[in-house]
Amino acid sequence: MSHLNVKAGGISLKEPGILASGILDENGYSMKRILLEGAGAAVTKSIGIDGRDGYNPPVVVETGSGILNAMGLPNPGIDNFSEEITLAMKAGKPVIGSIFASNANDFLKLAEKMSDYGVAAVELNLSCPHVKGFGTEVGSDPALVKEIVSTLKGSISIPVWAKLSPNVTDILSIANAASDSDAVVLINTVRGMAIDIYARSPILTNRYGGLSGSSIKPVGLRLVYEVRKELGLEIIGVGGISTWQDALEYIMAGSSAFQVGTALWSNGRKVFSEINQGLESYMKEFGVGNLMELRGVAIR
Amino acid sequence: MMQHVKILRKEIETPTVFSLYFHWDVKVEPGQFVMVWVPGYSEVPMSLSSTGKEKCLTVKMYGDTTKALNSLKEGDIIQLRGPYGKPFTRVKGKTLLVGGGSGMASMRPLINEESTGIVAARGQDELLFADDFSKGNAICVTEDGSRGIKGIITAGFENLDLKSFSMIYICGPERMLYAVFKMLHGKTENVEFSLERSMKCGIGLCDSCSVDGFQICKEGPTFSISEVEKMGEFGKTRLDRSGKRVFF
Ligand SMILES: Cc1cc2nc3c(=O)[nH]c(=O)nc-3n(C[C@H](O)[C@H](O)[C@H](O)COP(=O)(O)O)c2cc1C
Ligand code: FES
Repeated sequence: MSHLNVKAGGISLKEPGILASGILDENGYSMKRILLEGAGAAVTKSIGIDGRDGYNPPVVVETGSGILNAMGLPNPGIDNFSEEITLAMKAGKPVIGSIFASNANDFLKLAEKMSDYGVAAVELNLSCPHVKGFGTEVGSDPALVKEIVSTLKGSISIPVWAKLSPNVTDILSIANAASDSDAVVLINTVRGMAIDIYARSPILTNRYGGLSGSSIKPVGLRLVYEVRKELGLEIIGVGGISTWQDALEYIMAGSSAFQVGTALWSNGRKVFSEINQGLESYMKEFGVGNLMELRGVAIR
Repeated sequence: MMQHVKILRKEIETPTVFSLYFHWDVKVEPGQFVMVWVPGYSEVPMSLSSTGKEKCLTVKMYGDTTKALNSLKEGDIIQLRGPYGKPFTRVKGKTLLVGGGSGMASMRPLINEESTGIVAARGQDELLFADDFSKGNAICVTEDGSRGIKGIITAGFENLDLKSFSMIYICGPERMLYAVFKMLHGKTENVEFSLERSMKCGIGLCDSCSVDGFQICKEGPTFSISEVEKMGEFGKTRLDRSGKRVFF
């Protein structure tokens, strides 16, 4: 599979598909299995300074063409996470540490710990849509995003990825604020909700959640395309990818690699190996030597 | 998708366990489970203790949500989603059903004339479905000795010819499963365990139920003894609600 090799966001990947943050990546054994079954890298669950239990279930709703979730950033706290990274790294592939905080100082502390644990890069969660004081609340303030990214870039040696939210009015000003990062990751989930007509109540305990899966692919594609076209940044695309065709759309819109989350539910862990096979046969059929030849080719 | 069923009747099984019966026009096989939501409380995984046209949830009261379920009555609506998970493998011939605590609930649909049960509980009040087996086919084990053998579940296996069963099914808390696993390991291959771990999503996304990279909610909850044997985490460590690794 040598021609699926890509360099993205400052790291080398044997396969271009990356496990997205928050899906089957809290337990090191799960990440290891997914890596061994065809993912090129895995992003961990978003980890903060202190542990959190997350919200009470229901934390997910199946919407028919996607998933609505409000997990509430459950995580064991950075000091309790090193073992999971060590376990995942046994697969011999890059592990990327996702972190969340509300200020530059805490982001730096988390990034330094992740770096000590051996991750290949850190991904800043500037985009979780459903927890007060974190995620989008931080990531929709361009000045704060700029401060966080430059603080980290000035202090740690591993690559820094900034994961941005689609729930903002002006993506270009936020992406621009994050332009010192090694890659922007687009997109996190789209804010939404679901109501049960018998209970006459929102289903999610948190009421609001984030939509993922096939329904959001057009939203993600548009944001990747726009940011690549207008700013020329390095991008990792994510949102609604479940087939090799979806992955190619993201590459042609300007992504250097892509992440897959919700399709682990709809397609199972085999989704990564299926995408790899599909990409290879497409490349063979059209004489494409390396996937990067296709990056951004759809941009007009 | 969230589904809605109407309670037909409620039955009291033990001082802490009750059953809710309902019609639900969906195919469910023994070993599968549903996520039951009580609005205003939480959502909990529950196996079905009856899988024919009439379905049944057998509930052990242990927290706010299960207590709230206990206050439901005939005609009330239950919100649930599923069925999820991999069912038990069905076999012909003699079977042994081993259940500790409320573990017997998921195996009740497997009870027939050819099945023997090892039913374990703290005391006789809490033995679940022991009387659903044909006369003389239930071996009861109680910690206080109030009925049957005094001891823990493994004591129920004495005097049984393991090879005479086409399949041995086991359900209960992981510590108990682990004790049974150690005892059966190397003696017989036809064994299936139904694993229990905390579940948040029920659909293979959140990782809270995973053991050795397998999602119990999707690839389980039933696993063969040869699969369980390869699981380094089984009976040893698990993640708590926050994702922190803890020992059993
Ligand atoms: C259950 C669930 C949990 C998630 N948790 C996180 C998280 O902790 N951090 C994060 O940056 N993104 C999280 N996400 C967002 C995903 O990483 C991804 O950006 C989004 O789901 C879109 O991709 P998909 O359609 O392939 O799932 C989560 C998504 C889901 C469905
Ligand atoms: S309960 Fe979420 S993965 Fe099994």
